[in-house]
Amino acid sequence: MAFRRSSFRGDDAEFARAALAHIDSLYGTALRLTRRAADAEDLVQDTYLKAFRSAHQFEAGTNLKAWLFTILHNTFRNNRRHDGRSPVDVDSEAVERAASDGPADPSPEQVLTRQSLDADLQAALDALPEAFRQAVWLRDVEELSYAEMAKVLDVPIGTVMSRISRGRRALSEGLQSRRARSAAAAPVARLAMRTGMRE
Amino acid sequence: MADDIRSCGELDEQLAPFVDGEEPAAGRAAVAAHLAKCPPCRQHADAEREARDLIHAQRQVLSVRAPGALRDRCAAAARSAPAAGMSHFLWRWAPLSLAATLVLAVAGVFVFGLNNRVEALAASLTADHVKCFSVGEVDPATDAGAAGRKWQHDYGWPVAIPPTAASEQLQLVDVRRCFSTDGRTAHVMYRWHGQPVSLYVLPQDTGGARVVRKLGHQTVIWCANQRTYAVVADAQPAPDFTRVVEYLKANSK
Repeated sequence: MAFRRSSFRGDDAEFARAALAHIDSLYGTALRLTRRAADAEDLVQDTYLKAFRSAHQFEAGTNLKAWLFTILHNTFRNNRRHDGRSPVDVDSEAVERAASDGPADPSPEQVLTRQSLDADLQAALDALPEAFRQAVWLRDVEELSYAEMAKVLDVPIGTVMSRISRGRRALSEGLQSRRARSAAAAPVARLAMRTGMRE
Repeated sequence: MADDIRSCGELDEQLAPFVDGEEPAAGRAAVAAHLAKCPPCRQHADAEREARDLIHAQRQVLSVRAPGALRDRCAAAARSAPAAGMSHFLWRWAPLSLAATLVLAVAGVFVFGLNNRVEALAASLTADHVKCFSVGEVDPATDAGAAGRKWQHDYGWPVAIPPTAASEQLQLVDVRRCFSTDGRTAHVMYRWHGQPVSLYVLPQDTGGARVVRKLGHQTVIWCANQRTYAVVADAQPAPDFTRVVEYLKANSK
């Protein structure tokens, strides 16, 4: 992104524009954290309110996106501590619904790709333990550095690396077992399809 | 090849940077040597690589678009919140602004007496000077007159910006707002014989004039016309640096 490791210099409007450019990333991450679309929206809105109020604390030359992610994760942790809720109930539908809202006007190829490949990946990601899921998401989807992730997650950098590694492996294993189940179910599905076609 | 990894458990924190190509050369060789003779770890590395590549390939599909209503609410927050965060902040010597405190902490200036406010200001500006010249880009095409007018328009108070002076070997390279102090300070950046020189203008008179040496730099501070000015440069500038300071003093009124 434009401000990654570059100098931020400008006025309030410029800062706001740069910060708001990350709203999709923040919302996607918030969905993965909260599992509920309404909670994700609240979390993102809180994040931006805090960010704009603390804009003078943002250090020029650092990654604005990582700074916003730090606020988002801190806010999420604080909220969870205060309200005692735990986002353990996996609501893949919320994530799926949001994912189906965008990006705007997906190409036919994207639609096909999503239908054929994405369901397994989404499910495998959702099934990861939260700490692993956050690590894999921040690294491989949001492309934060290990150091930035350590700050965002408030854990040592070694822990970040370990979680990424374990998370990826767990994801790979999850995908393999899903594929194995799909392969086992395929003959039955094909038979049902053929039967349906004859009818 | 030396294999410094004695057990598979030691790979725990090294596999991700290895797979990502971010492991330093020495560590990389050790990991590669271990993988060459350990099929289970090699399998782990392959699985990790596969998962990472798959996510990278599907990143666009995994991404979501924030709802329009949320965008609107956050944009509205941007229009109202900056007044609380960036613009309302009044310059106060005590306590120091949080932003300044953070910079001071980073710079390690807590070791030399924060009770001296002028020294704290000099340290804060010095840290900003180093940071601004070490990261990001400057704009050598900056026009002093246009930058001054823009500043007045954007921030509501005038700053006279001394222009490039070929006779002094001084080139104006940028004008920006200094976020490291309180967000209200003008940071006018120059190259003098190729070396970074900063002029800071604060919109209030903080009293007194001093030369402060901190963090390997010297800061020349003076006040005039309800403004505080500070020139920051390397601690051991050439003898004719005084002329540059005089030039900046004469042209920043």
